[in-house]
Amino acid sequence: MSAATFDATLEQEQKTLERTWAQPSGLVGFFTNIDHKTIGLRYVVTAFVFFLFGGIEALAMRLQLARPESHLLNPDLYNQVFTVHGSTMMFLFAVPVMEGMGIYLVPLMVGTRNVAFPRLNAFGYWSYLIGGLLLYSSFFLNTGPDAGWFAYVPLAGPEYSPGKRVDVWAQMITFTEFSALVVSIELIVTTFKLRAPGMSLNRMPLFVWSMLVTAFMILFAMPAIMLASLILAMDRQVATHFFNPGEGGDVILWQHLFWFFGHPEVYIIFIPALGMISSILPTFTRRPVFGYLAMVLSLVATGFIGFGLWVHHMFATGLPQLGQSFFTAASIMIAIPSGVQVSCWLATLWGRRPRLATPVLFVLGFFAIFVAGGLTGVMLAAVPFNLQVHDTFFVVAHFHYVLIGGAVFPLLGGIHFWFPKATGRRMSEALGKVSFWLLFAGFNLTFFPMHILGLHGMPRRVYTYPAESGWASLNLLATIGAFILGLGVLVFLVNVVRSLRQGEVAGEDPWEGSPGLEWSISSPPPPYNYLYIPTVAGRYALWDRRPDQPVVTGLSRTRREILVTGTLDAEPDHRDILPNPTVWPLLLALASGVGFIGAIFTPWGILWGAVAAAIALIGWFWPRGDLQRIHFEEQP
Amino acid sequence: MRSARTAAATSPESAPQLAPETAVIDVSELPTVVFGSRAPLWWGLVGMIAIESTMFALLLVTYFYLRGNATVWPPHGVEAHFPLRLANLGVLLLSVWPMAKVAGAASRKDLHSMRRWLIFGTVLGLIVLGVRLALFADMSFRWNSHAYGSVVWTILGLHTTHLVAASVENLLFVVLLFVGPIERKHLLDLRLNSLYWYFVVISWVVLFAVIYLDPGFLEVMR
Repeated sequence: MSAATFDATLEQEQKTLERTWAQPSGLVGFFTNIDHKTIGLRYVVTAFVFFLFGGIEALAMRLQLARPESHLLNPDLYNQVFTVHGSTMMFLFAVPVMEGMGIYLVPLMVGTRNVAFPRLNAFGYWSYLIGGLLLYSSFFLNTGPDAGWFAYVPLAGPEYSPGKRVDVWAQMITFTEFSALVVSIELIVTTFKLRAPGMSLNRMPLFVWSMLVTAFMILFAMPAIMLASLILAMDRQVATHFFNPGEGGDVILWQHLFWFFGHPEVYIIFIPALGMISSILPTFTRRPVFGYLAMVLSLVATGFIGFGLWVHHMFATGLPQLGQSFFTAASIMIAIPSGVQVSCWLATLWGRRPRLATPVLFVLGFFAIFVAGGLTGVMLAAVPFNLQVHDTFFVVAHFHYVLIGGAVFPLLGGIHFWFPKATGRRMSEALGKVSFWLLFAGFNLTFFPMHILGLHGMPRRVYTYPAESGWASLNLLATIGAFILGLGVLVFLVNVVRSLRQGEVAGEDPWEGSPGLEWSISSPPPPYNYLYIPTVAGRYALWDRRPDQPVVTGLSRTRREILVTGTLDAEPDHRDILPNPTVWPLLLALASGVGFIGAIFTPWGILWGAVAAAIALIGWFWPRGDLQRIHFEEQP
Repeated sequence: MRSARTAAATSPESAPQLAPETAVIDVSELPTVVFGSRAPLWWGLVGMIAIESTMFALLLVTYFYLRGNATVWPPHGVEAHFPLRLANLGVLLLSVWPMAKVAGAASRKDLHSMRRWLIFGTVLGLIVLGVRLALFADMSFRWNSHAYGSVVWTILGLHTTHLVAASVENLLFVVLLFVGPIERKHLLDLRLNSLYWYFVVISWVVLFAVIYLDPGFLEVMR
């Protein structure tokens, strides 16, 4: 074949593929898109919008607490603000943003063209969006939940929280858990079945491992909150007695169910962040992460131990001694895999002077903040100390160190790292560094004083405090810090918006020499991701590539075919045909919206929703008959 | 790596490079529909079963938690038509047989067999569902009677919802098998439909055992 005909064939193939996998355009296209990159970005962008709302609520609380006996927010509004802040940050920001990163990156990293179930993926996003809109429209109508983000009964029960506020919270949970469960299935199946040939399990990028562990944690943790919010709603709506001690119910049951979800939730947020660090470091140190096996085992160990900690949130409820000892031991034990990973990263950095690009700065910031948060975590695992600071600002300081330091800093590092891949443009390094230092300084200024406030006995969730308490100056310091933190976020956003338009154009790999498969394709990636499905010869696909590394051919270019491979060794197994863009996922999400939002007002809402959802599902699965029709002797 | 041949292809880099000698793995001969754990959909369904099993397991934890608090469990005046429920369990267990036959027929692409056995399985499922619904109307306590009532009604309600959903699915597949068009992937769907049915049956065996073989409950029966 001559060079000219070869070129022409190639161009032809590329065009056909582009037509087949084209993202639908226009308004209709917006509602029918099922591409993992679009859905992933929607998750991330939507989550950051909610992050801003949550941040504004945080600033409102800090303004209120800046001086004693302030009346900026009344107690009722303050209760709503801290509840909505916590619920937003956990359910509408932290979990979805990590899921979005996974949905965007995992198919690229394993070398395939979409997630395993693209329509289900779109349904997950729409559910999440409906849940978020429900929470905020209620909040703006003065019906924001006000019983804390964990909605403890009896406070959240029918007797002490009449009205619709807690019902809104319970249904918001339903929507976001739907979406999380969907993402978990997507990630597990995409990781197990759609890896490029040669990418055996022991060659998977560490980020993919971290998302896989996260997905399994979601699978077993989220049903607990589904059940908890379901029976809470039933106690409130149809007078069941799960949490009513008068009729044989029990309030501590709520805490068990909630924290059986709630503690793994922390790791569901944190583990993807670990994967991001493991992706950033090799690029900038130009060497593999030290101790791949130890890293993977640590992730898996964290996933398991994460389910054995929940009772340490309940030390103040008067549990048996043995139970307390067990959960103390488990809580201390989980420091081991975290310690192993931090040590492996330090070993990766050992003797190297990585270029201090913004992603690396965020990783270094993570080390400082997360280690401090981890230390207070070990302190809190001890029952006597825990009882002393229970429900004080010490706990607030601890979990913000762990969540912001452990998850948000690596996330922002990851955003700076993959922004060029997703948008085709680089973010400004100068603005990136400014935002990092503002965030780092602002964060510590806000939350470090809270340790001391907590030790001095300042309780959480009080809308004000007396002047003679002596807490005023540290609170003022924290408020100043919060505004510096807010400024850091603002600079980050300016950087994002500015870079979208004026950022330096990124090639395939703006960081030069990155090892992951995703850096081998154009930025942003074409709708079909890979012109030919790549193959992989090692853990760092582009570094370990052989000169004669083969590619996969033979997938149809005129319909959406993907390659399915073996679960362990990723040997080519069969071809699967993915669906075309469709509106049914949105309609199904709307149908479930009718059901669950209706249920806030009447139990019959569930029935309406069920009928609507059944119709949507039948439409979804309606046989098109255009694909691979079977010819029986008498096809009906 | 099945069949490597050299042909027109590029390296994975998207900027199309001219590399006519690049080795390729040709997958055009691979099948498009496979069964069992080779299929992504099988994993999806197993994931869903894992989620729902966790939900049921936590509901049982709730049951035992509330039971541990109670002095009398179940409360007085609880009656459950035990013989009828046991018989209904028997019918449900029987339905596994035709559903397994459907799965086998789907592997063989045997249309007649699929139709026949699926109708049989669907009818058995509908009988179980009918009896279940009739028993709801006749229960001696309600969800708002006491905590026992709350948890038992929730277990029954949740499992009955599964029965309804699985029966609707069965009916839709019956319609599909008679009206068509039947696509190759529907064979996998039918096999997975049977798999899901087994889950509905097995989960009921466990839930039934917990509720109706509870020593306290057997005491009431006596």
